[in-house]
Formats: sequence, C-alpha cells, structure tokens
Amino acid sequence: MADTVGTDVGFTAEEEAFRGEVLSFLTGYQGLDGYFHRRESSAEGVRKLYRALGERGWLSLSWPREFGGMGRSPAYEFILWDEMAYARVARPPMGPGLVAKALMAHGTPEQCARFLPDLRLGRTNFCLGYSEPDAGSDLAAVRTRATPLADGPDGPGWYEVDGAKCWTSNAHWADHIWLLCRTGAADSRSRGLSVLIVPLDRPGVTVSPIPTHDGGRLNEVRFEGVRVPAADRVGAENDGWRVVASALAVERHVQFPPKRLRRDLRDLVAWTGRTGLDGDPVVRRRLSGLAVRVAEVEALALALLGEIISGRPSAVPAAHHKLAGTLLTQDIARAAMEFGNSEALIKDSDVEFMWRQAILETIGGGTSEVMRGLVARQAFGLDSRG
Amino acid sequence: MDFERSDTQRALLDALDTLLGRYAGTGRSREPAARGAYDHALESELRTAGFLDLFGDDGAGPLEATLAVERISAALGAVTPVPHLLVLPALGLPAHTGPVALAAPPAGEEPGPVRYGAEAGLILLAGADRCVAAPLDPGQAEPVPSAYGFPLARVAPVASGQGAELPPGTAATVRGWWRVGASAEALGMMRQAFDLTVRYAKDRTVFGRALGSFQALQHRLAELSVLLEGARWLVYEAAFLGAPAEASAVAAAHTTAALRRLTRETHQIMGAVGLTREHDLHLWTLRLQALRAELGGMRAHRRAASAARWGAAAA
Repeated sequence: MADTVGTDVGFTAEEEAFRGEVLSFLTGYQGLDGYFHRRESSAEGVRKLYRALGERGWLSLSWPREFGGMGRSPAYEFILWDEMAYARVARPPMGPGLVAKALMAHGTPEQCARFLPDLRLGRTNFCLGYSEPDAGSDLAAVRTRATPLADGPDGPGWYEVDGAKCWTSNAHWADHIWLLCRTGAADSRSRGLSVLIVPLDRPGVTVSPIPTHDGGRLNEVRFEGVRVPAADRVGAENDGWRVVASALAVERHVQFPPKRLRRDLRDLVAWTGRTGLDGDPVVRRRLSGLAVRVAEVEALALALLGEIISGRPSAVPAAHHKLAGTLLTQDIARAAMEFGNSEALIKDSDVEFMWRQAILETIGGGTSEVMRGLVARQAFGLDSRG
Repeated sequence: MDFERSDTQRALLDALDTLLGRYAGTGRSREPAARGAYDHALESELRTAGFLDLFGDDGAGPLEATLAVERISAALGAVTPVPHLLVLPALGLPAHTGPVALAAPPAGEEPGPVRYGAEAGLILLAGADRCVAAPLDPGQAEPVPSAYGFPLARVAPVASGQGAELPPGTAATVRGWWRVGASAEALGMMRQAFDLTVRYAKDRTVFGRALGSFQALQHRLAELSVLLEGARWLVYEAAFLGAPAEASAVAAAHTTAALRRLTRETHQIMGAVGLTREHDLHLWTLRLQALRAELGGMRAHRRAASAARWGAAAA
C-alpha cells in the first residue's frame, strides 16, 4: 500500500522549500531515537540535536524578531516537528516552545534576557512540572506549595517550595523545571497558583524514576525546602493558571504531529508484509480503514494549524485533533495484536513497542475525557450542571 | 437450567483460592525468581491437590476444570493450565510434568513464539484433522524477548514421524478446548483488571468528587461489565457442552473482542498511574495481550465460528 496521499496542500512554496531543508538536515540524524527515548543514551543525542537546531535558528522559527526569532509563520514549526516525528528523531522541546513563548507574553524583560538566548540556541532544557499524585486531569488541585519567606538569610523576595510532581517527562536530563505551584490558600483552586522556574540541581530537589511499561521513564520530582527567588516567578503571584493556559495555546500545533501516524501505519503495513498477513482481505480492510483515518487526522491537524496562524482561539480544534490523533495512534498500534499473530509479541519490534507506547497517548497532555469535556463546553456551551 | 454454583464447585474453588493465595498472586508474579520462569512448585501443588484431574473426575468435570483455569489465571499462576487441566485430559493423554506447549500453525508453517516454549517438554500440534503429541528438547528452543508477562520461545521444529499421531478428529478437540481454556484465562484476568479499575473509580477523587461519579465513566464501566458477563457465560456454556467447534469459537471471538475493549478502558480510566510498573494493572493487561495471539486470534476465531455454522466455504 503506497504512502502517497498528501495533505500538504496549502503550504507555500517557501514552506515546502523549508521542508526540503528539514529533510536534508535529518539525513544526518537517522537512527537518533529522541521521539520515543527507547534508550536512555538518546538524551545526549537529543541535546546535541537541539543545539544544532538552535544554531540554525530552528528553535525560534516563529518567535518575533525582537526576541531574536525568525518571525516566521507557525507553519514552519509544524513542518519541522512533523518531519522529526516521521523520522522518529525528536519531539519539540518544551523550553524554546512553550516556556519561551510564555516568557515573551508574561515574563519580565530581565527574565527574557536571562533565558531566551539559551533557549533559542538549544543550550538549556526544560521539563514541565504540572501533574501531581492527586492532580492529573484536575490540575487546579495542585498542592506543591511555594511559601513566601518573610525573613531569614534568604528572605524576603524568596519562596520555599515543598511538594512533589509526578509522571514528569524528561526531568532526569532537563536543566530546569517549569513549576506550577500553589501560592494561594489550599482551596483556592486555579486562583491560587503561580509558575516558578526552578533549576533541577537546586538543593532540596530530588528526581527519581517511575518506570513505565513501554520501558520508558517518567519521573517523580520532590521539593523539600527548596529556595527559589521571587524573581524566577513568571507572571504575577496567583496568576499562574493564565500563564499555563496561554502557554499551552501557542504550542498545540506541534504537540501531536500527524506524520507520526503516517509512519506508524507505514511500519504496520511493512510488518504485515513481512509476516505474510497482507494477503488476507480482513487485514487489508483494517489497514485501509486506518489509512482513511490517518488522512482525517492530517486534515484536523491542518485545520488546527490554520486557526493558530490566524490567531483565533484554538482550544476546540486542538481537542478535535488530539482526540482523533491519539485514538488512532492506539488503533494502529493495536491492529498488529488484533491480527492474532504471536510475532506481534516479540519485545521491542516496531509494532510491539508501539502497542505499549500508545497507551500513554490518550492520557498524557490532557486525557481524552478532558478533551471531550472541553469540546462539549467550549464548542456547544453544554455545562455539567445542566 | 441452574446457574448457581453448586456446593461442590464452591468448596473446590475455595480450596483452589487458598492454594493460589500461597503459590500465586501479584507478589509472587513480581519476584525475580518467578518472573519469566515456569512455576513448578505451583504445578506440583495443583497436582497433589487433584486440580489437574478435575476434567475426568466423577465429582467434577470439564466445567469445573474450566472454572479452575479461570482462577489460576486470575491469580497470575505461572503454569500452563489450559493443556494441563483441559487439553491433555480431553485427549485422554497422561498427565505431564512441566510446561506443555500448544500450537496450531497453518499447514506447512512452523509455530510462532509460544508461551513457556523454552521450558516445554511436550507440544501438542493441532493439524487439519489430527493432533501430534511430540516431545520437545528445551535446549533446542529459541527464546524471544517478551514484554507480555509470559516467557515466549520458538520451539524446535517437530519432524514428521516424530511424536505420537493421535486419531482423526483430535485436532478439533485441541482447538475447542484450547479456545475454551484461553478464554477462561482471559476471563480471570479481565475480571481482576476490571475490579481494580472499579475500586480506583470509587477511591480516586478528581474535581472534588469521586472519579466514578462521572456519568461518562459509569456508562463505560457498565458496558464493560456487560461484555464480561457475556464472555463469562459463553465460556461456561462452551465448557459445559464439551467445547464443540461453534460454541468454543463464539466464546473465544467474543472474549477476544471484550479483551480489546477492556484493556483500552481500564488503562484509560486508571490514567497515568496505570502506566507505571509499580502499579498492578499491567500484570493482567499485558498478559491478556499474549492471549490474543493464540490460535490465530480474533480473525481465526471468527472464521472458525462461521465455518462451524455455515460450512468451510466461509474460511
């Protein structure tokens, strides 16, 4: 089955030329496993890749020129990370994406001057400290506390941070954590949260692994009496919810690249050929159904990109895309197992690994349930109180 | 019709649960020594207590043996209960010590990786009509890495003339009881994963209320329970009827479909904690996936069901 149906219509000649540059850049990184991080050793390779991207200005493609960016359309970022996903080479780093864009919108000039140059050049890496044991889908329940210090050698002007984040990706190799924490009363929900930037090597910060069954690693990040200067708070105290929400909005077009699905399907089709399953009409029917859905998700991704380029609110199209895309990731991954061939069980083959990895997709980055609720409320005005 | 468990069945299953409490369970399945290895101690205890003889027992029978397979699997017992409790006795073959491999490869093909293949000393190969019972040399097997709870290996090819060729019709006996047995294994594991998820939905608080108080999730759990109940009675019915082709294929097809949905939903409802190795959910959900490959999986179960009902042309 050919891999040819294109949905690249709508990109300009310049954007397509950029895709060509990306593809030729990628020839130097074949084999780098930074999309899934199946090997612990890939972290160093990814760090180098980000620096190489930074030197080309590709980590700041859509940053405004006044912040040192290239001032290009978000379409360029989409193309870059879509091709990276197809090659399984890397995912977009949080630092130059979400963190940098939030700093430009909410940070002080001093913070921008301190962080943006290294972020642009890929020299510093961030992880996101949002989820907690009792605050997953319900982020407003975050309990990690930042207490302003009234006196003492470090205060005033400092916070003391105590608590724990969990299921944190990349914390074991990042430099900083973008930390959502409580500065208001315990029951203040989304009105009492703030964002702090905390170096992960600060005394009192402990990162420990949470092994997942795709062989990967999430982390628990504990904070015990960690001192953080108030100058490292982004946005006003207790205004963290707005910072986090707006940061999310500007990165949605690169978070779930649709070409990952096209690659998944390609690998699955190749596997059915190797195992001799591809002659079975039942298998072919299933594969063609999946191919149609890949096209659907690509269309939804472009619709989302269009909204982001236009500057219109993108939460609903982003939820559409995430819902359809992540479910399809799982359906492609699960097809091999459904075909009832025990070759699909051999650990770390392409199709086997996809099965274990894909479970995460409909949970991380906003569960399908949160996405569905968001569509119902924001698109149709339905409210759970009836 | 009597759908209640008899006193004999209750006593039997209570005794089995007690045994499994000592020789199986989540803790034992996580022990490095037990992980990936066949549990000879469990097999020996089951044999001594008579559970491997239920199939032909005067006071019990194939249904009781099937119920026992379900329990052993629910408790993550690291043995091969399907051949031991169902297939060997159904074929009238003597008991065997140690793991037994089952395979039904398409004509002219070698079996793919099978559970406990690297330790099995006996394989039952179901052909088109006859079954061959052949000794295996574990030294000749080729282990393959497995992420799905059960160790897997490609067994050495069985040369023609090797082993005992059983009478005509025995291949259907193997397929029927294997389908019933694998479905019973799936039932036991699905039930555990489901119960774990229901408990989580009750205990976990999000947005200031129990996770299970959200109607969208209540409906999904309710639908899963329908699938599970359907699977349960189809499997028991097939066992009660003696694993005829159609009933066993229907039970296996339905169970495999239920398994797919149950895996997706339990993981989704459990969220991030269910993705971690420290949590127990994966002990069942990963093993369940290995069952999907048995006997050619869903496609083959459905084809067998339609062939049994409407004739072989459907295959």
